[in-house]
Amino acid sequence: MPEMKTRWDIFCTVVDNFGDIGVTWRLARQLVAEHGLAVRLWVDDLRAFERLCPEIDIHAPRQLQQDVEVRQWPAEWQPTEAADVVIAAFACQLPSAYMEAMAEREKTPLWMNLDYLSAEDWVIGCHGLPSVKYKNVQKFFFFPGFKKGTGGLLRERGLLELRRQFQQNPQAQRKFLQGLGVDPAPGAQLISLFAYENTGLASWLDAMAGDSTAAHLLVPEGRILGDVERWLGVQGLAAGAVHVRDALTVQVLPFVRQDQYDRLLWCCDFNAVRGEDSFVRAQWAGRPFLWQIYRQEEDIHLDKLEAFLELYVKGLSAPAREAISGLWRAWNAGEKMADHWQFTRKHWPELEKHAEAWCLEQALQADLATALVQFYGNWI
Amino acid sequence: MKTGKELKPGTVIRLENDPWLVQKAEFTKSGRNSAIMKTKLKNLLTGYKTEIVYSADDKLDDVILDRKEATLSFISGDTYTFMDTTDYTMYELNAEDIEAVLPFVEEGMTDVCEAIFFEERLVSVELPTTIVRQVDYTEGSARGDTSGKVMKPAKLKNGTELSVADFIEIGDMIEIDTREGGSYKGRAK
Repeated sequence: MPEMKTRWDIFCTVVDNFGDIGVTWRLARQLVAEHGLAVRLWVDDLRAFERLCPEIDIHAPRQLQQDVEVRQWPAEWQPTEAADVVIAAFACQLPSAYMEAMAEREKTPLWMNLDYLSAEDWVIGCHGLPSVKYKNVQKFFFFPGFKKGTGGLLRERGLLELRRQFQQNPQAQRKFLQGLGVDPAPGAQLISLFAYENTGLASWLDAMAGDSTAAHLLVPEGRILGDVERWLGVQGLAAGAVHVRDALTVQVLPFVRQDQYDRLLWCCDFNAVRGEDSFVRAQWAGRPFLWQIYRQEEDIHLDKLEAFLELYVKGLSAPAREAISGLWRAWNAGEKMADHWQFTRKHWPELEKHAEAWCLEQALQADLATALVQFYGNWI
Repeated sequence: MKTGKELKPGTVIRLENDPWLVQKAEFTKSGRNSAIMKTKLKNLLTGYKTEIVYSADDKLDDVILDRKEATLSFISGDTYTFMDTTDYTMYELNAEDIEAVLPFVEEGMTDVCEAIFFEERLVSVELPTTIVRQVDYTEGSARGDTSGKVMKPAKLKNGTELSVADFIEIGDMIEIDTREGGSYKGRAK
């Protein structure tokens, strides 16, 4: 008789952007592909999901995508049997009827709140701790993180080897870029830009345009396009648009699926990323990067930025540390970027080496999906 | 009913029928519109201790407690003896029962505290929101700043360290806000 697969339910409410669905979709696929689990992913907004996975039928209440059972999280919840493991992503509130179903199970399920990624010290003290109980069902907090004692980062098995092979294969890179309509000029520095609106962008683009080295900026469709349009003095930028201003070529790319976005990051010499999912992927790319953190009330995001910087710059020389920290702080404050960019460029070889070292160091930690599975294993 | 965000040391909540004293509560904004309260709890019936993380909006049954005014009488090792100011009854607490306020408890303090009772048993003590303490040690003013914006470290008599304004000197009396771990408020008038 075949062994029954452990069933996992992941609940995702799309608050804004693509971070919520990006992280949960990646996690769901990994749990299925690498851990042999049966995963249902409940999503309240399939339109946002469609951007990451164009095969999604946004009207289907239930469908199988890459062996993940994708379920529309309906406003009016229908009775559903609870799974063995239940993950509420980013503190989303489970339907009360589903909680009732969890409590009614003969075998109590494991209920986890998968929280936000932060490099702050308090994460270690809170990771894995119990929380409220609903009847007999205990909730636990699970925190991703960069240090031992946290849940780690999402990283698929073999990802770094795949990345290494791709980065060592110029032909594969050229073919991939051509598929996106990108034909970088020889010697041009390739830079990706995925960002929220940012008043600091104009001065960064000015600096790149006025540089002695050519730069080719690849901008997937998204919120930053308005600022790019203003700088170029054009309107209606869309995928495929290419504009040249002195040493800088700006090219708009379509919004790509996650595996393609990974390859884009791997092709680029420098990646500007935002939020949580692309932030982690830029680290696995092993290339210098710039992080725009999600803005929060009372500027608490700046504490989180500093906490990550404190970790990330360890091992860099003082001038390189100052350069990359200055660039990141300016970007997150929407300040002028030109001087910081020039300063950063001076330390390029060191920053490149450091990005790879940081990536390898982070890969020593168990990945998030494995850590979740281990947590469940210990719990039962 | 209390929310996770409202928990503070001295609060007693009911979990599965048992009363649990909040000994420590640390509030953190974990991410977008999401906040947590990490608590250290002690079961008032069994003495068992645990740590639990609550979401800021989790709803919890709180237990109505008796409160009386009390002052610190003396400290003996890890035992802190408080006296009911109305009937002079003495009550003892261990250091860990008052962990959250311990940095600002010192021999000779005259603050009128709120003693918290559960079924006639003293379980915790809260300090007034503002207390006055003497600075036992601090470096001299580095920049001659008088604005109060430049801060420097200082030590109280019991060894507690906190940041004070640059113009504060050894022996000065300072006001401390005891909420959220305690912070310098200003020079006592």
